[in-house]
Parts: sequence; C-alpha cells; structure tokens
Amino acid sequence: MYLLEHAMLNLGKNKGRNMLLLGITFAIITAIVVALSIFNATNLVIEETRTSLQSAVRIVPQMQTLGETGGTGGGQMITGQAAQNQATFTAEQFSDFANSDFVLGWDLQDTPRGTDAVFYLVSPLLLSDFEAELREKGLPENYAVRTDEAAFASIVAPVESLQSLAITFLAVVVVLGGVIMALLSVIAIRERKYEIGVLRAMGLKKRKVAFVIWAENVIITGFCFVLGMAAGNFLSQPISDNILAGQILSNADGESTATTLAERLASESADALSTENFSENLQIDILINATTALQILAISLLLASLVGIISVSQITKSEPIKILMERT
Amino acid sequence: MGLELKNVSYSYEGGTERVLRNINAQFESGKIYAIVGESGAGKSTLLSLISGLDTCKEGEVLYNGKSLKTLDRDEYRSQHIGVIFQSFNLLLNSTAVYNITLSMNISGVAATATEKKRLAYELLAKVGIDRETADRKILRLSGGEQQRVGIARALSHNPAVIIADEPTGNLDEITEGEILDIFAKLAHGEGKCVIIVTHSDEVSAAADRVLRLVGGRIL
Ligand SMILES: Nc1ncnc2c1ncn2[C@@H]1O[C@H](COP(=O)(O)OP(=O)(O)OP(=O)(O)O)[C@@H](O)[C@H]1O
Ligand SMILES: [Mg+2]
Repeated sequence: MYLLEHAMLNLGKNKGRNMLLLGITFAIITAIVVALSIFNATNLVIEETRTSLQSAVRIVPQMQTLGETGGTGGGQMITGQAAQNQATFTAEQFSDFANSDFVLGWDLQDTPRGTDAVFYLVSPLLLSDFEAELREKGLPENYAVRTDEAAFASIVAPVESLQSLAITFLAVVVVLGGVIMALLSVIAIRERKYEIGVLRAMGLKKRKVAFVIWAENVIITGFCFVLGMAAGNFLSQPISDNILAGQILSNADGESTATTLAERLASESADALSTENFSENLQIDILINATTALQILAISLLLASLVGIISVSQITKSEPIKILMERT
Repeated sequence: MGLELKNVSYSYEGGTERVLRNINAQFESGKIYAIVGESGAGKSTLLSLISGLDTCKEGEVLYNGKSLKTLDRDEYRSQHIGVIFQSFNLLLNSTAVYNITLSMNISGVAATATEKKRLAYELLAKVGIDRETADRKILRLSGGEQQRVGIARALSHNPAVIIADEPTGNLDEITEGEILDIFAKLAHGEGKCVIIVTHSDEVSAAADRVLRLVGGRIL
C-alpha cells in the first residue's frame, strides 16, 4: 500500500522531528513499562500472600487485659518478658496446642522476646473451632487466637504502598504523556501544513492523510515499544527494590515484631509465594509477562492513535486551498 | 465533459470586497481557454473554485451538470482534474519522480509500481526533465524545473480537465513553446479541456477563447 510506503519515506525525511518524537515516546513507554510491571507484580504478591497467610494463626496477648494482669503480678502462663507486654508459652505448650485435627502444621521460632508459634490451619474457616479447642486445653482468656494480620500487614503494607505508588505513577505518566504527545502532534501538524495541503490538493482524502500520520506514529511507537520494554525490564527491578526498601523501613518503625514474623512466615510459605524470599528485604520479582506486555502495547497504541485523532481534527477543519495558503 | 460556472461570487474570510462577482462561464472539451487579467484580479481564486480546492459562497460550479458542492471533491480532483499551481505545490523533500508516482497512486492509476515509475520518467522527459533531474529532490530544482514537474504531475492521471495557473511564468520562450505544444496536443488531439491563467501573449494567442477578468467580473 502506497500510503504505508509514503509514511515510511516521511519517517526517513524529517529526522530531527522524528528523533524528538522517538525520544519522548521512548521515555513515556519506558515509564509505563516500569509502572505497570511493578503494579502487576505487586498485585500477584498481594493475592498470593493473602491466600497463603489466611490460614496462618497465632496466639496473641490482648493488650488491654494483659496490661492489667501484668500490673498485678502476671498470669500463670506469662513468662519473664511480661513486663514488655510480650508473653509466650513454652515449646511443650505450643506442641500441645498444635496437636489438633484443625492444624496442618506449625512452626516454632525464638524471637528476642521468647518463643512464638504459628499454626497453619486446614482451612481459615476453622479459626473459631481451633480457638475453642485451645480454651479447653487451658488457654487463658487474655489471649486471643488470630489470623496473623501483623505478618500479613507487614508483607502486604509495603507492597500495597508500592502498588499505589506504581498506579499513581502510571496514571501521571499516561495523562502527562498523552498531553505531551498531543501537543507535539499539534506542533508537528502545523509544521507539516504545506505537505498535507499538497496531498489534499492532489485529492488524497482526509482519512488517508490521517492514516499516513497515524502509521508514522504507530511505527515510531512500535519501535519505542521494543526499546521501552527492554529498558523498562532493566529499570523496574531496581526501582521496585529501592521503593520497597524505603517502605519496609518506614513500616518497621511502627511494628518491630512484624518484620521478624514476616520473615519467618514468608520463608515458611515460600513455596506458596512465587516471590522467592522475603528475608532481609522483602523482594518482589518484577516479571514482564505477556499480559503486562499486551497492556503496555495497548496503552502505547492508544497514545499513538490519540495523536492520529488530534492530527485529523487539525486537518479536517479547512479546505485544502486554505491549508496551502496558511503555509509558512 | 462539461464545466460551467453559474453566478459565482466569492469573498475571502475577513475580506470585505468580493474578489469574484457573478461570474458565468462555460468550458468544453477539446478547447484551450486563457484567463487573463491584472494581478489581484481574482484569477487564482477562480481556478481554486473550478478545481474544487475551495467552494464558492454564492452560485455554483457544475461538473457534468452536478454541483461541486454535492460531489466528492477529493475524488473530483484526483480523477477528473489536473492542477498546475502558480506556486507549484510539490512535495519539496521528495524527488520529482516520486511526486509523479504518488499522484498516480492517489488517483488509483492501474499499473504496477515499476510501470508507474517508467511512465513517470517518460512524462517528465516529455516536459524536458531528464532522468538525473527527475531523481533529485524538488528542493534542489530550479523554478522552471519545478514548474515542469508540476505540469507533469497534472497530466499524470490523464484528467479530462487541465487547470494551469501561469504554467509558463518561470520558463524561457523556447520551453514555453514546447509546453504550449503539449497543451495544444492535449486539447486538440486528445480532447481535453485546458484552462490556463496567463500573462503571456503567446499563450493567449494559442487559446481558443480568452476570458478577461476585471474587478472580479468577466468582460
Ligand atoms: N487568503 C486570502 N485572504 C484574503 N484575501 C485574499 C486571499 N488570497 C487572495 N486574496 C485577495 O484576493 C484578490 C484576488 O487574488 P488572486 O490570487 O485570485 O489574484 P490573481 O488574479 O491570481 O493575481 P496574480 O496575477 O498576482 O496571481 C487579491 O486582491 C488578493 O489580495
Ligand atoms: Mg494568481
């Protein structure tokens, strides 16, 4: 098709303008790749963390009642760390608790505040049944059995922050990118008024002129898509790691226990989580999968088409003779 | 083929004066028409209305009895009309031969790409553009050469009407004579309708009819 050939020839001609367009489109697409791939990866992590942590429960002291009992000398189950409001049971007691039909497995770990345990239930629905059983076994009223929300939050909170950051960034990039591309295309069309006037005067229909301009943009966008995917692939992992490290730090200020619990929980359920390893730093593997790539391609083509539409609205305004007369 | 102007008046946007006032004229196949008049008389304006590049506010331009306002003017230009502009209006950053083949493509000339290219070189040779010049960008051609490329482009899709705005303005007398021969052959030999705006007495003398525009009217 000669229109496509014409578009290709045009790309080779105005190198300055096209390089500028190429650079800007490349930057926009790279930013989209980074934002979208981080968003999709965090989504995955949150989903998987949710499913894997839902059935993990632990025994937590209820702060209010514990505070009271701690003040009056402590309950019989509370060990030496009671002053810190962190009480634990002995390993034997945990083992006794774990010996239940509702428990799939359990895990014991020494924390700086004593021994703690996590029980993995057969199903998250069995929580109240499990708690009733523990009460029978002598669990005091000032302890509650909870899904491990702290652990969930400690993993999910920084990931969610990262995610909302990514989606905000994505929105900003798409909107800003759209505006920049639109402005550029208006300028480009103004610059190309003569050329377009000549084509229109030869009888080339408006929509075909628009197709030529659209095709040029799609070719540039396609090229930038490939480059942007490569660059984004390089950039999104370090960017994600950096932001996440910041999130974990600020999160850890509030809950110092959470990190250790999260560490342990995460390594425990490592096979359930596709993310390999939460230890030291919570790590999200940013993978650009086919869905992400398609989404990015769709956004890119949408941006290119936006440029096309604006160009058409620019040239459909006037008769060809006016376009030719207004030329610079 | 019949081309007719009926009570055509035109004024530019923002302009208070009417550039064309109540023009009536008829153009037929097989004839050369010369439109003459002072600079600013409205000759180019008239041509842009005839060639469907613009539409008149009052009156009608009829092609084969149909108003251009109702016709698809893009198709009208690409199929039936060949325009040679006063300011050429060629794609400056493209070669001469590409300007011709693109015009053929837009008009849907039925031939293979190589065939079109061969025809384009042939056509350019006819107006005195050799192969080396044909392969140069329009930017790197002289005014006279550009004008000849413009003529070749107007003929490239074999239109029924050829409209030329001072087609010999940048040409020497010898080349002007050659171009006039081409127009004469087109009109008298191939039965085309040729409408030429000109300041040249030679061109007027070669015309079958001369229309004089004064103050926006035909005398
Ligand atoms: N775009 C425009 N806007 C306003 N007025 C215009 C415009 N183009 C032309 N005119 C005016 O319309 C009148 C006719 O212009 P036109 O170009 O048709 O003259 P012309 O007969 O072709 O002159 P020339 O022999 O110099 O080419 C002139 O007075 C000119 O100033
Ligand atoms: Mg003129």
